[in-house]
Amino acid sequence: MPTESKRIAAMRDRLQAQIMETLDECYLNGHQTQRLPHNLNISFAYVEGEALLMGVKEIALSSGSACTSATLEPSYVLRALGVGSDLAHSSIRFGLGRFTTEEEVDYTAKRMVEAVKRLREMSPLYEMAKEGIDLKSVQWAVH
Amino acid sequence: MAYSEKVIDHYNNPRNMGSLPKEDKSVGTGIVGAPECGDVMKLQIKVENDRIVDAKFKTFGCGSAIASSSLATEWLKGRTVDEAYKIKNTDIVQELNLPPVKIHCSVLAEDAIKAALEDYKKKASAGAAQGEKAVAQAK
Repeated sequence: MPTESKRIAAMRDRLQAQIMETLDECYLNGHQTQRLPHNLNISFAYVEGEALLMGVKEIALSSGSACTSATLEPSYVLRALGVGSDLAHSSIRFGLGRFTTEEEVDYTAKRMVEAVKRLREMSPLYEMAKEGIDLKSVQWAVH
Repeated sequence: MAYSEKVIDHYNNPRNMGSLPKEDKSVGTGIVGAPECGDVMKLQIKVENDRIVDAKFKTFGCGSAIASSSLATEWLKGRTVDEAYKIKNTDIVQELNLPPVKIHCSVLAEDAIKAALEDYKKKASAGAAQGEKAVAQAK
């Protein structure tokens, strides 16, 4: 178990580094080291979790959104971790396992980066942020 | 989540994704939704002689939200401003086969259409009022 934990944590860290060193404005959810060795949860600003999953359909991932439940509330766990309501809908949970290979980690990182970049191009929030607008100060027209 | 083929198609091949210049007098911009809800749509129309000649969208939201707004821009192009008001969220639900849990995406798209139309009308009447004022002052 100790050797396995170390092995998986190293792969998880590799996945994290490849993603977070390539993309800006992505945030790790939870503690950096005091977490399960096989778990990674990242919020990608300006893109929505379910849409991201659609962009990497061949990879088994999970989003923190509770869109499929009766309410539009995001994950209560992320909320408890202090993830803001704006980022709660933008998170992806990665789970690595005993049979995950380094190749799969590299592939996943590459595809995630591609999908995030594509969705940011489609995002009005990303556009507003690039224009220097502080999204927290915007008065949203909620119906 | 079972997405219809049409939703997936709009996601992979979004129609009219992009932006029009907001300051342009012939452009109406509607921004609806909120990041905390996981859904924000920006819809823009360019109107010439009362007809919508161009439409663009950008969306923060799930595949169904992206498809709803993409479809909206397709339907808007070529319609007059009055015809555009007739687009209902139920038409979008039917066209995209949206399941009950995603109906709110179509509602937001209809709101975005109306917001863009209202913005255009506001700018058009302000422009007309300014024009009248200039004419009155010139007299």
